[in-house]
Amino acid sequence: MGKMREFSLYVITGEQYHPGRSMLEVMEAALAGGADIVQLREKNMPASELLEKARALRELTRRYNVPFIVNDHPDIALAAEADGVHLGQEDMPIAEARERMGADRIIGISTHAIEEARAAERDGADYIGVGPVFPTGTKPGRQAVTTSYVRQVADEIRIPWVAIGGITPDNADQVLAAGASRLCAVSAIVGSSDPASVCRRLKEQIAAARGERVTIKLNGREELVRAGTLEELIQSYGLADKRIVAELDGVIVQRNRWESTQVRAGMTLELVHFVGGG
Amino acid sequence: MSFDQHQKDGLTIGGRTVSSRLFLGTGRFPSPAVMQQALEQCGADVITFAVRRVNLDWVQDDAILQHLEDRGLTYLPNTSGATNAAEAVRIANLARAAGLGSWIKVEISANPRTLLPDPIETLKATELLTLAGFTVLPYTSDDPVLCKRLEEVGAAAVMPGGSPIGTGLGILNPYNIGLIVEEANVPIIVDAGLGSAVDAAQAAELGADGILVNTPIAKAKDPVAMAKAMAMAFEAGRLSRAAGRIPRKRYASASSTPEGVSEAYWAGGDPGSGSVSQERSAAGRADTGLQAGRGADLPVKVKGG
Repeated sequence: MGKMREFSLYVITGEQYHPGRSMLEVMEAALAGGADIVQLREKNMPASELLEKARALRELTRRYNVPFIVNDHPDIALAAEADGVHLGQEDMPIAEARERMGADRIIGISTHAIEEARAAERDGADYIGVGPVFPTGTKPGRQAVTTSYVRQVADEIRIPWVAIGGITPDNADQVLAAGASRLCAVSAIVGSSDPASVCRRLKEQIAAARGERVTIKLNGREELVRAGTLEELIQSYGLADKRIVAELDGVIVQRNRWESTQVRAGMTLELVHFVGGG
Repeated sequence: MSFDQHQKDGLTIGGRTVSSRLFLGTGRFPSPAVMQQALEQCGADVITFAVRRVNLDWVQDDAILQHLEDRGLTYLPNTSGATNAAEAVRIANLARAAGLGSWIKVEISANPRTLLPDPIETLKATELLTLAGFTVLPYTSDDPVLCKRLEEVGAAAVMPGGSPIGTGLGILNPYNIGLIVEEANVPIIVDAGLGSAVDAAQAAELGADGILVNTPIAKAKDPVAMAKAMAMAFEAGRLSRAAGRIPRKRYASASSTPEGVSEAYWAGGDPGSGSVSQERSAAGRADTGLQAGRGADLPVKVKGG
């Protein structure tokens, strides 16, 4: 992937979604929750103010060792020492951005159809955005591309790509099932009162879809298990239809919550049942 | 009360009436099939079991409930393995999450050699679990004051041990068990240490409302027969207690009237020759002497055999 490090959860700023809280506070929560690439997007802001925000966000993302991208403005990206720039289809061509940014910076571009995705790959984009998968307030009026476009990209495009547009923990599994392995969310994360926990949840869903293996402590011993739901984990041990009780990090998880509970690295799981006794 | 009426006289704990006063522990049986047969023979409708980690390497591991569901039994999981109140509460919550009711046997052992219950932690756990809405049956030492305290903090029944778990030593302190029963306003179940039918009968005669038995049945040569024997013995003991036993006496009292003893033809005269006959005569005189002398100051109630 070269200059692009692998990432799975892309978070974009959206100050209109969190009145009363500062952008830095909200983005720091997202980083704490596992956001592994961050973009500053402000459509109507004087350049001087935008640069100020970009520098602050650069500072923050550097602390978390996470790449930082600026939307639309290569000059501000350069001035703020960002890692790259993100373009829309209506913005300058990739070649022009490349010329201004140099070979070492990241250039990403939004795509809404497979032809645009092919063109971006051909023109040397480092990654593409794929969406909006669902209707979104961030891009009002734009027709959702649905998961069928996600599936097309998954089949054909070889550069890194990230699904975006109206994605929340509730619909993320559909997008992942269509072949996405990276997600981007705006309002679901920055509009939440607890951005960190939304990020954690999305990261768990992505890890599960990728079939990553994580180490957990199960009944007192270290076990390498497939990331996924608690239901899947218990099934993998052939225990789903047995009368057992699951306790996760000291808290009992009722059976009807197994499906919605994600297996996370480092968690402590106890599975107990009844045995003969007096 | 006839024997039949007596048997229908159910035991009510935490609002639930159970028909059999023998609670059966499910551990240490030679096989699940033997356990089920024993269960049928003793008629228990309260069964106990323990909460343990699932064996991840062998999921065919025979979970006890597979063989017992759909029998309308009352489940009494224990908190064995707990060494303090907090651990007991955790195990109780795990047990309740299995969805088989909210009865819990508090069992907190501090000493692995005697497995004797820790009285202080048992009292704490009983109070906490009662507040959490459990029907709590604490296994406890046979201490009358402690048993009363357990009742006061909300135990639905109190279960003093006869002797340490699995020893089969029977009821080591019948005096205490008797006192506990006298003082109690909740059912008293003698739990642990019973060895065979005789101990079951004794528990009942001392006034216990029930017994909890595992090892003496599970480890008997014939568990199925012993299950029946102990259930019958407990009912016999209860009927016996209701019937009212005689006071203990130092010396014998004949069960037939002394009048009208038929005399041998040689009585009072020379029986003839032979040492055997002479001895018999001497014995006869000695009997007479006892009846006329020391025997006279003992109450004599002659009711026949």
